[in-house]
Amino acid sequence: MATKEELLKAKIPCPETGIEIRHTLCDICSPGSHCGIDAYVKDGVVIKIEGNKNHPLNRGLLCTKGASNRQYIYREDRVRTPLKRTGPRGSGSFEPISWEEAYQTISEKLLGYKQSFGAQSVFFFSGYSKWYRPILQRLCYSFGSPNYGTESSTCFTSGLMAWETATALPARPDMRNSRLFLGWAHNPYYTGYLSARNTERLKKQGVKFIIVDTMYTQTVEKIADLFLQPRPGTDGALALAIANELITNGWVDYEYIEKYVHGFEEYAEYCKGFHAGNIEALTGVPCEKVKQAAQMIHEYGPMSIRESSAPLGHHANGMQNYRAIMALSAITGNYDRKGGQTPAPFTYTHQSSGYHTWEHKFVREARKSSMAAAVGAQRFPLWNELEKEAQTMDLARQIRQGTPYPIKALLAFGMNFRMFPGSDQHMKKALEELEFFVDVDLFMTDTAKYADIVLPACSSFEREEFKSYPGGYAYYTKPVIPPLYESRPDTDIMCDLARYMNLNDPLLKAGYRACLNYILSPISYSVEQLQEADTPLKVPEFHPHEEYATISRGLNTPTGKFELKSELIASHPEWGLDPLPTYRAPYEGEDETLYPMFLTEGGRLPNALHSRLHDVSWLRTLRPKASAEIHPEDAAAHGIAEGDLFELSTANGSITVTALISRRIPRGMVSLYHGYREANYGNLIHQDRLDPYSGFPAFRSSTRCRISRKGEAHE
Amino acid sequence: MSKMILDFDPVLCCGCGACAIACMDQNDYDPKTGNAPFRTIFEDRELKDKPVFSHYSVACMHCSPAPCVTACPVGCLKKDPETDLTVFDNTDCIGCHSCAMACPFGAPSFNAQGKMEKCNGCYLRVRYGMEPACVRVCPTGALRMVTEEEYEKNHSDHSLIPNAREISSHQI
Repeated sequence: MATKEELLKAKIPCPETGIEIRHTLCDICSPGSHCGIDAYVKDGVVIKIEGNKNHPLNRGLLCTKGASNRQYIYREDRVRTPLKRTGPRGSGSFEPISWEEAYQTISEKLLGYKQSFGAQSVFFFSGYSKWYRPILQRLCYSFGSPNYGTESSTCFTSGLMAWETATALPARPDMRNSRLFLGWAHNPYYTGYLSARNTERLKKQGVKFIIVDTMYTQTVEKIADLFLQPRPGTDGALALAIANELITNGWVDYEYIEKYVHGFEEYAEYCKGFHAGNIEALTGVPCEKVKQAAQMIHEYGPMSIRESSAPLGHHANGMQNYRAIMALSAITGNYDRKGGQTPAPFTYTHQSSGYHTWEHKFVREARKSSMAAAVGAQRFPLWNELEKEAQTMDLARQIRQGTPYPIKALLAFGMNFRMFPGSDQHMKKALEELEFFVDVDLFMTDTAKYADIVLPACSSFEREEFKSYPGGYAYYTKPVIPPLYESRPDTDIMCDLARYMNLNDPLLKAGYRACLNYILSPISYSVEQLQEADTPLKVPEFHPHEEYATISRGLNTPTGKFELKSELIASHPEWGLDPLPTYRAPYEGEDETLYPMFLTEGGRLPNALHSRLHDVSWLRTLRPKASAEIHPEDAAAHGIAEGDLFELSTANGSITVTALISRRIPRGMVSLYHGYREANYGNLIHQDRLDPYSGFPAFRSSTRCRISRKGEAHE
Repeated sequence: MSKMILDFDPVLCCGCGACAIACMDQNDYDPKTGNAPFRTIFEDRELKDKPVFSHYSVACMHCSPAPCVTACPVGCLKKDPETDLTVFDNTDCIGCHSCAMACPFGAPSFNAQGKMEKCNGCYLRVRYGMEPACVRVCPTGALRMVTEEEYEKNHSDHSLIPNAREISSHQI
């Protein structure tokens, strides 16, 4: 028999040890995951975590990032109390204040700016993740400001806009019923391990896979039947060439197109410009591979296509490229088809779970009709028309220039200036110039050091929250430990501020739980019932996808059809945007002699998620240095050995990184992960390298670069 | 209880390192502070007509019999009588590294106090009907804990166990 000491050391949950297992979720990465967690709790402290086997999403598994939750929530740099800045901005000098004082100060300041400069002078910002967003958005609108903006100005929304332009709805791949999966930028081994399992299962069942990626990923190794490797940002040209091949061979669904697709003739004519004679020069993909891809699409339907949050959107031509890729599902009759791309209205916080809530109503009913145009509305009119929120890529400019009106205050939940293009020279300067900045965060980040007041937020382990999952699931968690130090849930902070400012919004002032009970009105379960269950419940109101139901009813686009040619864009010639999914080459206007290589940013790592895990030492041990990947031949040409330091320079700046020599990277390309304090990619890209359609920064194909060896690495 | 095999299939592994993090969480160590990780993740790269990558997650192979058990002069290492996993109690460890010299796989490591530590197969979790932390987390199913009978009946052609047995048989 094991002794009690041995059992405690092995963390065995049993009466002898007093270790209990409690359930929560991981909110480190995308809301598309948020896996169920079993927290091992002893005396109010989490001593170990693992995946919850009863959770319908992850069934006991976790990824590399999720496995680090215990170190993440107990990071040394957790903000412990509300803080007031006492030194210069960025110095990190603060003194603790009470919640009462913090709320009083913030309320007086924000109401003061509202009175003097209008409510629009106060900006409400959300970083990652998304769990509290409807509450923040309502707070913003109830305050009277149009300026609710999020990190989704650089992630996910570009693809959503492509879909809204074409179908007025979000969409998702019905992968499990496909015979062919077009995995455009699909490497779930590093981004969504559950999708990797599904991919492997489908592969075993005989599903065919075309993988399109700029890098030779694990998915290429393990899964691809056909691999196409375009240069970054040339995806649109490749998709148009595949379309041209399909159309030339008559491999499109004319009956479907006739009934459901708008603008085919003009689109087909445009596609003719992408052909055997130019496609390899445009994209780097040999024409033979384009033909093979078209052949496979012809032979193996139904086809679904990977939806992408970042890799396809992060280009100056990203949204148009996305439209060109998704056009393939329309011309082959795969949209709204079983096993194709299915319409997927959002349930909650951008998750399509197959049931309806009042999230949209909850947010919109607080919005006043007479508000000023949001930040970015003039510069990104299509964004403004479709998203009706601020495009935060224009925030730093408006703070600094004060046009069309001044921004005086910023109430941010989880902000990082390094995630903005032109980090130091633009966003950081804007934070220095801003009159009043409140940052709510778990950690004392470098951005929080610029805030006038910092408020401590708590993690998903310390709060209760609502979460919807695919397949009709609803979950409302219980805290597994009390909030650490004096931290509070973000939503409590929002509702408390509504009370302190005495906004005319009784529901918001009633708190998060009351808001959620209102939002969940259309479903059979109350917050209390969901929380009592302590596990995700299947909602009776769940409606699975009905093949062709949406498209045969008519879409909410101007023509009611899938629009290859956007009549919304066509009706606004003053925007200067193209109604067809036209192609424009990336890396425009860059000096090829001075900067002979292509730089791409953000290719995922298993141990990192933006910047939030760079200071989690368990994960950092898997890749301790801020490294950039280069091809062996490029390394040899520059005399760079594995582990050497080299300088990476663009027209915008230089950083020093550690060399990671890899055949996963094509010759002539440098791949860098983002958010490193000591080697920040954001300083290499100019703040105006933005997609005119979506406003997205061109992180993945922003800029050419050059490299030069700096010396051997030293500890 | 049956003899247990901690099996690994490199073809299923993608080198994500989730197992290594779960191991740190289970065993309360942080390589940053000087402890060597019990489980090592690496990628083997070859260039044929195209790049070929193999992924590995390697820890104690739980040899049976185990050369480290024989090598330890003070009896810190033993085979767990219930699971046959190679377990340790380093109270008496003199830090002589004999176990590390005997181990063909470099599994034993030494903490800041100079005492040996290594993967113990989470033998107590296994005895209590749970999987080892690394197996529990492994998103691709590359790691598994099975009884010896199950292993002999069904294992991947790529399983590392036959290689490990071959190598350790030369060691004894």
